[in-house]
Amino acid sequence: MAIEIKVGDRIAWVDLLGQDGNLLEIEVDGKILKVDVMHTADGTFSILENGHSYNIELVPGKQPKKYTAYTLYQEFEVEIIDAEARYLIDRGAKGFGSTEKNISSPMPGKVVKVLVSEGESVTEGQTAVIISAMKMESEYKIPMDGKVKKVNVKDGDTIEGNQILIELE
Amino acid sequence: MTEIKKILIANRGEIAIRIMRTCREMNIETVAVYSEADRTSLHVRYAHEAYYIGKAPSSESYLNIEKIIEVAKNCGAGAIHPGYGFLSENANFARRCNEEGIIFIGPSPEVIVQMGDKIMAREAMTKAGVPIVPGTKESIKDENEVLQVINKIKLPIMIKASAGGGGKGMRLVKNESEIVSAVRAARSEALSSFGDDSVYIEKYITSPHHIEYQILADQHGNIIHLFERECSIQRRHQKMIEETPSPLMTPELRQKMGNSAVEAAKAVNYTGAGTIEFLVDNDLNYYFLEMNTRLQVEHPITERVTGVDLVKQQIKIARGEILEYKQEDLFQRGHSIECRIYAEDPDNNFMPSAGKIYKISEPLGLGVRTDGYVYEGYEIPIYYDPMISKLIVWGKTRDESINRMRRALYEYKITGIKTSIKYLERIMNNPNFIAGKYDTHFIENNQEELMENSGCEECSDMVIIAAFIDYLQKISSRQENSKEFALPQSRWKKIPYINHF
Repeated sequence: MAIEIKVGDRIAWVDLLGQDGNLLEIEVDGKILKVDVMHTADGTFSILENGHSYNIELVPGKQPKKYTAYTLYQEFEVEIIDAEARYLIDRGAKGFGSTEKNISSPMPGKVVKVLVSEGESVTEGQTAVIISAMKMESEYKIPMDGKVKKVNVKDGDTIEGNQILIELE
Repeated sequence: MTEIKKILIANRGEIAIRIMRTCREMNIETVAVYSEADRTSLHVRYAHEAYYIGKAPSSESYLNIEKIIEVAKNCGAGAIHPGYGFLSENANFARRCNEEGIIFIGPSPEVIVQMGDKIMAREAMTKAGVPIVPGTKESIKDENEVLQVINKIKLPIMIKASAGGGGKGMRLVKNESEIVSAVRAARSEALSSFGDDSVYIEKYITSPHHIEYQILADQHGNIIHLFERECSIQRRHQKMIEETPSPLMTPELRQKMGNSAVEAAKAVNYTGAGTIEFLVDNDLNYYFLEMNTRLQVEHPITERVTGVDLVKQQIKIARGEILEYKQEDLFQRGHSIECRIYAEDPDNNFMPSAGKIYKISEPLGLGVRTDGYVYEGYEIPIYYDPMISKLIVWGKTRDESINRMRRALYEYKITGIKTSIKYLERIMNNPNFIAGKYDTHFIENNQEELMENSGCEECSDMVIIAAFIDYLQKISSRQENSKEFALPQSRWKKIPYINHF
């Protein structure tokens, strides 16, 4: 079964052509790769390809079919796009606006100060909220000119990673 | 000599565990204290006893002097080790310990006060004949005074808060026109950060090296130094990598600075372990910067080259013992480097990255030491410092040490959060670092070379394969009767669970 997998900015088309135990023949974007894959007991994928040894670790994301993958030097955001995911994406594209209209937190932390209020007209680059995490304060700025639709947090709140803090119209 | 049977460690994280390790070796019982956010932290599990001291923010737990003293008294701890940070340089805490008959493992409250105040410290050093950065002896009154000083020591200058630290209350002045606003800004930042708006002037050293000396002083007037630590690789005024011996050092300078460090400690009747920080310019002039009246984060590299357990020495000094080493007994054997592993994103302005550790595999092998505290499944709290571990290596030469550090960083894998590991590896590959040519501006001067490399396409192919296999495995396990896809070794994964029954 062929599916699409998004790795960082790359969307690759991938298919399983053949399997003999842990020896697999896989097609990635038209390129045929013969690999020896072991999913080891500690959860790492050990892949041997043409004599090269790769260790890939997949950390499941908060949503299903999303991972963070770690190679030796890099970190990738990975998303499986199968028929179900494709359906949800297509539906989402019609139903919801771009997520860039929101300000969300990239990591857990604490709200030091909210500097905008609901209904306020704001300009791009204006500081909307100050978050503190691990002894460092960061300012989050308004991504585009507009109006504040909703403020979901207040001063002193503890927040999760990827939580939507401020919504814009 | 006073006996110490039980020590309370008024700290958390890696340093709490580091101190407890030595206590175990000395057959001393350990008491951990913890905040609400730290119930599952490793120092709580490592200690003989552990007591809750308050809510997650440090001001309500690790900085709560009376609560910590109450715990120490109730559990019968004869001494308190403050570690670094938190209450380690709090004179009031040292005083309260003394009042309650608990040994504070550190210097006297008077010395902490004297060294905590930059202007007082500069005065004491001048008296002892230790060179200080040219500048004012007292806090400055107005801008006119600044102009007079500039006539003497020339721009650029730094305006610094007397009570300062951590880069707060500091302003660089390059042009005369900046003086008024710089003085005002430094004063107001000093007032809000330290409750004291006195500021003074120092000449700005353009290409400074941050080199510090470890000293040990007993209660009987014996003082030794344990050589230097080169700490110039910094980001945001915080150290990232330290090494000893310093590649900048000459044998003559080493001895001269060592003598100054001992004189500095003598001048204030210092006791315990302490660190004298110096700035060294390109012409090898050195100036006293400040004294840290506690154990330093980077103390392990000194331990590694001298063979001296500094925590053990601290405890022995606190017991009133005479120093077991004389200056002539000490040598630097080989070369040691420490890398600090921070939970942060080095490719995004070193933004802290809290979260849950998914997997961790620590480096092992010849000449490698890790001082850390996180484990798989551990959620790093957002309330404290982002440093999660320290990696220390030893090699016979600086080259061997760098190669070993590179190898150890290759082995070190932490997933689930972002860390500085790969960035540190890039520094180990940087030609300027390898040549030992760097000052405190290293990170900004080498920014481009230290950027993430664009990586390989094969790697992203392999990620795709791994994700694809994982997907196929999940799909076939979800559909009960589907034998569509299974890697043959999958069932081996079940063995640990089967064994458990």
